Amino acid sequence: MRTISHSLQYKFMPTINVTLYGDIAHYGSGKHIAIMDLDLPEDAVIDTLLQEISLPSTERGYLFVNAVLYDAPGLYASRNELLQEGAHIGIFSIRHMWPYQYRDGIRMSDSLKAAMEESGPMQNTYRKT
Amino acid sequence: MARKILRINMGALSFAYEEVPGKWAKWGGRGLTSVIVADEVDPTCHPLGPNNKLVIAPGWVSGAPAAPSSGRTSFGGKSPLTGGIKESNSGGISAQKIAKLGLAAIIIEGVPEKGKWYTLAITKDGVSFDSADDILGKGMYEVDEILWKKFSNEPAVIGIGQAGEKKLSNAGISVNDPENKPGRYAGRGGLGAVMGARGIKAIVVDDTDGPGVEVANMDLFKTGRKKLTDAIMSHDLTKPGGGLNLYGTNVLMNIINEAGGLPTRNFSAGQFEGASLISGEMVAEMVEKRGGGMTGHGCHAGCIIKCSNIYPDEKGDALVSCVEYETAWALGANCGIDDLDYVAQMTYQCNDLGLDSIEAGNTIAIAMEGGALEFGDKVGALGLFDEIRKMSPLGRILGQGVEATAKAYGVHRVPTVKGQSMPAYEPRAIKGIGVTYATTPMGADHTAGYTIAPEIAGVSGKVDPLTDEGKAALSLTFQAATAFIDSTGYCLFIAFPILDIETGFAGMVESVAGVMGLEADGIDAIEMGKEILKVERNFNKQAGFTSADDRLPEFMRYEKLPPHDVVWTMPDEDLDEVFAWMD
Repeated sequence: MRTISHSLQYKFMPTINVTLYGDIAHYGSGKHIAIMDLDLPEDAVIDTLLQEISLPSTERGYLFVNAVLYDAPGLYASRNELLQEGAHIGIFSIRHMWPYQYRDGIRMSDSLKAAMEESGPMQNTYRKT
Repeated sequence: MARKILRINMGALSFAYEEVPGKWAKWGGRGLTSVIVADEVDPTCHPLGPNNKLVIAPGWVSGAPAAPSSGRTSFGGKSPLTGGIKESNSGGISAQKIAKLGLAAIIIEGVPEKGKWYTLAITKDGVSFDSADDILGKGMYEVDEILWKKFSNEPAVIGIGQAGEKKLSNAGISVNDPENKPGRYAGRGGLGAVMGARGIKAIVVDDTDGPGVEVANMDLFKTGRKKLTDAIMSHDLTKPGGGLNLYGTNVLMNIINEAGGLPTRNFSAGQFEGASLISGEMVAEMVEKRGGGMTGHGCHAGCIIKCSNIYPDEKGDALVSCVEYETAWALGANCGIDDLDYVAQMTYQCNDLGLDSIEAGNTIAIAMEGGALEFGDKVGALGLFDEIRKMSPLGRILGQGVEATAKAYGVHRVPTVKGQSMPAYEPRAIKGIGVTYATTPMGADHTAGYTIAPEIAGVSGKVDPLTDEGKAALSLTFQAATAFIDSTGYCLFIAFPILDIETGFAGMVESVAGVMGLEADGIDAIEMGKEILKVERNFNKQAGFTSADDRLPEFMRYEKLPPHDVVWTMPDEDLDEVFAWMD
């Protein structure tokens, strides 16, 4: 497990805590888990975060913000969600499983609910395999 | 050669082969153990008394040529833990060997002379009844070792530890893995005590020169096998290097924790600050750092998912297999313990003594809540296994599981349904699983309701199941689908590729149809699953269960679960809808 602090020079910098799980941990200099504190520009959204750590959206699986599910493998519902000061973001690799029966009823963002109503909530992955 | 039933009478120390009756012919695995138990066991009998039976059945495709990930053995009987019907299935090397002996099921009945213990050896020539004096009182690690020296051909060893010998309600049944270690358990429900009550310490299965598994339509079987194998090998979760292969079932620890659904400190919170330290990612890190262990371990020949692991100790020597998600959660987060080495040592103790690790972890958490230990006291928690090993009065109470321990310590926050404690998913945060916990005939069980292809389950993938509404219908289809998969002999984890990849589901059905000599379109997985559930529910009804038993514990209705501060809100009437179709 690797913990790093990543500070950039922005005028107003909301600080967020990010944990990367699985093989995407190398984007945070870890092997299987990387924990980072990041300073991001004002009005930063999730896409800003992914760009900041150079994590391709195609490698991003489930994504949580403060214990609320914001995205799923192969969906892109969260990219424009605004990040708040002090937020914790957990991001998993696309290989991480989460069977529907073990997430049926959990908290989700409105944008993800809408995406799942469109795509079907029961899939384990929305990537073409 | 048609499949046979092997009936073993422990009173007479005799055995007989029987034709499979027509009414049982279409069943395998869980379906078969449940119909046999329903037909032959008095639902009102005492689970440890002479009128209960232990039924063992491989699934339909177990032992068929190169059927992928198909090593599940079902064990059935009346449960000492729940008082209802129980099917608990295990990986390991037994299913294929039983199937290759041409056996559809083994029915064990009767009790021997008091104080007599036996090792049964099953070969193509029949059954021998050897004294178990050489292994009595020993843990499963030693038992497996002794029996591989005593019997040739590296047989399957189905055995019970000291917990089963003492007929404790949390005793499971061990099956050895390809390295001849215990750790594959039909853990839930106390069937190890049912085996102990028959005077059986171990069953050795040697399939040498057995007739093999008859495949009625080899072309159809091969077609289905290829489709299913391709689906497993291409899905992100099940392919080589995929999530299960890399991190095992413990890939879920961090996800469930991030979602706020990880039961922590006896179900008092939904997040554990030490979750990442006991997760599958950390297991992988320890394996790489220390050497001597492995991830991507297969629990039986022919598994192509390989989700098991071997955890190494500090010196880099193999310590235990397998640190699963449920095990790491029960003995870790739920006890407030964030030290993977201690979790692994407690897992070893469970494997050796023959305890279900879910019930064992929940029991320790109850003892902690009752004041026996502080949450997080890893040394004290490990020491409780010594009490069970000594069979001290405290150890005997702990070995009876959560409800007995809660009574002993005056704890009212008891996370059980039908006497069986909940696994690693908080139903207040993950409400769908709560419906299944409440209503499955098995007692709280996380493997009772797996999702398979929504269109097959009769619910469109675009249906919105994101609210409480409709969860009853979903749970029923999930439970039925799971009862079907539990009957195939396939590992439940094929559910992932068959959900996402259309040809995967077709492959599963075609391979089963090929073995059984049926038309693929003649298999309706959900209807067959419902048939099994009906048999199981009727058994429970005759055993005295009512709708009042289909409820989650009271404290979950009024105690808010952080971080989302949610309570269980599902109305009782909605729970009763799940099986209303049976009335």
